[in-house]
Amino acid sequence: MTAASPQAALAQRFRAFLPDSSILVTETERRPYECDGLSVYRRLPLLVVLPEDINQVQRVLRICAELAVPVVARGAGTGLSGGALPLTDGVLLSLAKFNRILDIDPLNRTARVQPGVRNLAISEAVAEHGLYYAPDPSSQIACSIGGNVAENAGGVHCLKYGLTVHNIVQLGIVTMDGEQFTVGGTGLDAPGYDLLALMTGSEGLLGVIVEVVVKLLPVPDTAQVLLAAFDDVVPAGDAVGRIIGAGIIPAGLEMMDNPAIRAAEAFAHAGYPEDAAAILLCELDGSRAEVETDVMRVRKLLAQCGAREVRIARDADERALFWKGRKAAFPAMGRISPDYYCMDGTIPRHRLPEVLSGIETLSRDYGLPVANVFHAGDGNLHPLILFDANRPGELQRTEEMGGKILELCVAVGGSITGEHGVGMEKINQMCSQFSAAELTQMHAVKAAFDPAGLLNPGKAVPTLHRCAEFGAMHVHDGQLPFPELERF
Amino acid sequence: MNADQHERLAEQLRDAFEHQQALRIRGGGSKAFCGRAVQGVALDVRGHCGIVEYQPTELVITARAGTPLLDVQAALAEAGQMLPFEPPQFSPDATLGGVIACGLSGPRRPFTGAARDVVLGVGMVNGRGEVLRFGGQVMKNVAGYDISRLMTGAQGTLGLLLDVSLKVLPTPVCERSLRADMDVADAIVAMNRLAGRPLPLSATAFDGEVLWLRLSGAEPAVAEAMEALCGEIFVEVEELTGQQFWRDLRERQHRFFSGDDELWRLSLPAASPALDLPGRTFYDWGGAQRWLKTNAEAGAVHVAINKVGGHATRFTSDGAVAQPLSPALAALHQRLKQAFDPVGILNPGRLYEGL
Amino acid sequence: MQTQLPESLLDSPQGREADAILRRCVHCGFCNATCPTYQLLGEELDGPRGRIYLIKQLLEGEGDADTVRTHLDRCLTCRSCETTCPSGVKYSRLLDIGREQAERQGTRPWQQRVMRWGLRQLLPFPRRFALLLGLARVLRPLLPQSWATALPAVNKASVAGANIAVRHPRRVILLDGCVQSVAAPEINCAAARVLDHLGISVQRVTDGGCCGAVEQHLSAPQVAAQRMRRNIDAWWPLTEAGAEAIVSTASACGLQVKDYGHLLRDDPLYADKAQRISAQVKDIAELVADSPAPSSAGPRPRVAFHSPCTLQHGQRLGGVVEQILRDWGFELTPVADGHLCCGSAGAYSLLQPVLSDRLRADKLVALRRGSPQVIASANIGCLMHLRQGAESSLPVRHWVELLADCLPNK
Repeated sequence: MTAASPQAALAQRFRAFLPDSSILVTETERRPYECDGLSVYRRLPLLVVLPEDINQVQRVLRICAELAVPVVARGAGTGLSGGALPLTDGVLLSLAKFNRILDIDPLNRTARVQPGVRNLAISEAVAEHGLYYAPDPSSQIACSIGGNVAENAGGVHCLKYGLTVHNIVQLGIVTMDGEQFTVGGTGLDAPGYDLLALMTGSEGLLGVIVEVVVKLLPVPDTAQVLLAAFDDVVPAGDAVGRIIGAGIIPAGLEMMDNPAIRAAEAFAHAGYPEDAAAILLCELDGSRAEVETDVMRVRKLLAQCGAREVRIARDADERALFWKGRKAAFPAMGRISPDYYCMDGTIPRHRLPEVLSGIETLSRDYGLPVANVFHAGDGNLHPLILFDANRPGELQRTEEMGGKILELCVAVGGSITGEHGVGMEKINQMCSQFSAAELTQMHAVKAAFDPAGLLNPGKAVPTLHRCAEFGAMHVHDGQLPFPELERF
Repeated sequence: MNADQHERLAEQLRDAFEHQQALRIRGGGSKAFCGRAVQGVALDVRGHCGIVEYQPTELVITARAGTPLLDVQAALAEAGQMLPFEPPQFSPDATLGGVIACGLSGPRRPFTGAARDVVLGVGMVNGRGEVLRFGGQVMKNVAGYDISRLMTGAQGTLGLLLDVSLKVLPTPVCERSLRADMDVADAIVAMNRLAGRPLPLSATAFDGEVLWLRLSGAEPAVAEAMEALCGEIFVEVEELTGQQFWRDLRERQHRFFSGDDELWRLSLPAASPALDLPGRTFYDWGGAQRWLKTNAEAGAVHVAINKVGGHATRFTSDGAVAQPLSPALAALHQRLKQAFDPVGILNPGRLYEGL
Repeated sequence: MQTQLPESLLDSPQGREADAILRRCVHCGFCNATCPTYQLLGEELDGPRGRIYLIKQLLEGEGDADTVRTHLDRCLTCRSCETTCPSGVKYSRLLDIGREQAERQGTRPWQQRVMRWGLRQLLPFPRRFALLLGLARVLRPLLPQSWATALPAVNKASVAGANIAVRHPRRVILLDGCVQSVAAPEINCAAARVLDHLGISVQRVTDGGCCGAVEQHLSAPQVAAQRMRRNIDAWWPLTEAGAEAIVSTASACGLQVKDYGHLLRDDPLYADKAQRISAQVKDIAELVADSPAPSSAGPRPRVAFHSPCTLQHGQRLGGVVEQILRDWGFELTPVADGHLCCGSAGAYSLLQPVLSDRLRADKLVALRRGSPQVIASANIGCLMHLRQGAESSLPVRHWVELLADCLPNK
């Protein structure tokens, strides 16, 4: 008798506490899990498991630790950096069944939720108390709170209201050895090190998030959105600095260039001026009188900066419509291009003009169109490279160009990722942002949580070996960054 | 003053690492009482000072750890900006590094965030004497683990801070204080109900008899809120009295803090009812931070705070003693300490025994 | 998304259509957020993005057809995902193609085949359905639970106005439908009264039949096509003679007829006619919305409106009925998650009773939340399905019946 395959042996162990329908073994069933929101990177997982309580998660992790099988946790699978890309020899741990809101405490303004709860579902559930959950990544309709924590997701309102790390108070986590911890607290701090901050944005490398307590904020009295159209992107960028320099902190300050405007308009019919070179969306919130004053001030500033048209949303519906187009801007690219590759660099805001012109040059050199969507208020740039994965070689050129854009961001004092995470996609660029000693320190942090290195290995923090190879690759152009990955 | 001494500091740490020599990191010495007493050779960071970069329209300031807090605040004030977390100083000698290492925040904390919330990046030296940089000078940065925030409040036990980049905000144009007489149960509910309304609140506190509110923001926003609240049970406080009250609370100079009983800091869910403990209590942060002057046994305080899911810090003549961690969490802390400071030279024992 | 469909498939119109749809999908996952089954099951394979992936595998010559079919069967075809999709993926078209492929490549267990065959022989035929319905009411104690509870109650409601004279210059054809004509004939009577009041006369067609939706969604597209051609033949003379529209009071039927143009696009004899028929179809809401509401507003009940998927996602008429009801003086109670399916979805409630029941339970909770006096909807399937779950004190009616109640000399 031959020994059972690792897959069969694992499945056998899991069957002791999971129903058959929660263990996906056949290739047909595993295939749809081979990628997350970044579908150019695909890897077939060894096995997919769908637990529905914390005890099951602990048992899955203990068994995997015992058998030295790596584990990748996944929420809604909407990530854009390949953070939930499975491993061919690893278990994919889906937390999508953890989708219940456990408790809402209106007086303390917190909600205890399971990690698979959708970001937007939290705000919907607490709306009757006049509260909401502030971070609103563009994918908020679909992305899960567990994934938001793992990536420290941002959104269009984080200039004023912060990122995920600023809006959660407590996490339940399970480490690779099956131990359950609570980090943070239901007060405003916890004793010891700030593990809540460390876990946030750790991309599933330190522990599996099994519960989240989020902070809720009162819904502002009034909010108003201005839409300004520009015939050139540079004055639009200047306007951003002028608004902030005037002491106004908008709730959201977003910029889109012409290709992005056209794609978003095709979906949302928001009335964006399709011939503008750039539009700025500026949301102001607060008390009625304050918003009225600020709207007038911002309108004046925008006009001074050369906006050819400034529109103020007529009512809540039009305001929602203005945002709908912006929030759907990424996937709306599907209307003008079969594939898009989304970058996520951050830059000091005043360097915007040179970065945009650098991107334009790269776009011309590579012959690949780029649409730019920009969280202008906080310097987070999302160039979307448009390509067709069905054309041989085009993905490779796209990746190369994307890498150059990120290096440009680092060169002007920015970062390779503002909110999407490093994942698989930007792992090589980590080598240009961090020194060997810094990366070594990060590996030491990982080892403190997961000494065997079984949780989401190979993501977020590159090995020094990989960086050495990446350095070499710069010399030998034309090599693929990830030869082991199956790709289009 | 502006001096870059990071090489000297790193050299001293490398030396200490080789000789396994424990160090006691110090700045202005204003917050020595915020942790446990440390045995070690003093390492003074004050020589490494100065503002490295500050562009008001970027809303970011970067300064060296030894820079006096007052210098940082003066530079910001010139551009009409401020540190959003309203840090306590405790002495004019306070340094920026000390403030961040201790992770202390003032009355504004529930509304504009804590020290850790505004930390964007740090330069640091770890326990091997290696100079490392994490985070950066941009608002959003998720490349690698968030070690900058991990450093905040770690009291120098994981690394020596060289410089920090902080997010800053425009100083509110207008600030007014209000007060109302109330009993404790009503005050706790009132503070939390108010925080659930869209008001420009920047502090709420209860001193045992009076509920204090502070409103900050644009002129019209504050005026509108004043109108709404003064129609209820609040009355406006004279401007200087208000400023004095919030400053005294922040600096722990309020008369509440005097007296012989032991001082405790309680951190708990804001709306928790008053704890059944002897002594006097002062409520800050809308009830989420409570100061307790009591002669109760430590055990009794811990039992009471555990019931509501918070933690307590006790201020003794030997320094501040934090609530013990669960064994599993304590072990994780030990492993993290080991990851940054393998031979234990950085402020050993400052947070907990062995940390 | 990248695709690798075999050349042989890309040579066919169907293959090319599937390829174009697949390549529009950018795998963002927004669709899962509004998919009723994904929200219940938390399983990628039971959400649109996973189903698209399963279909892609099948078309690329990989993947086990029976596994794929199991998951496609769980799809309600509510098309909520299409409303959500920013890239404009035509999911239901791809689903039709996927279902056909899965049906062809795999082997459906015989019990399922018998059941589907049975439904096809029954639902589209008013007389057979009426006969069986009567019989079933007698035999209710002997039927399986899910079937027994699905039986519509005997309707004693007035069918007044069944024969209003054709007296206005504006004339429309009113579709009788199959199930509705037997289970709830009062709806079309109410529709005729409302339209008459608005100055539109109703004509009925005797030799038409089921719109074809039942067969279309029960794995028999060829039979469906035959029905569609027959209907076109029956309606053609009347539209030629000046009927301005073909009106449906069942949003599922209306949607199917609106789709004739696409479904018969490769039929050399019928393609053009199908296009023209589809262009003339209107949901009754589209007609009523164009006419002014009566000025005298008497007391009206508080209404919780459930917009059928075929109305809001299929025909993209979300909000229209709600506005009509408000214009006619009704108060609408707020309904959370209005985009979600009630679980009826044609024959789905009979084929997937477990999921269907859970969806209905959730839907009724959402509908009751605002304490309405009546629940209204716009499709016979939803009406019957919700009626079985709702307590008798809370009536479930077609919205056009509520309008008819407002008319004088009832």
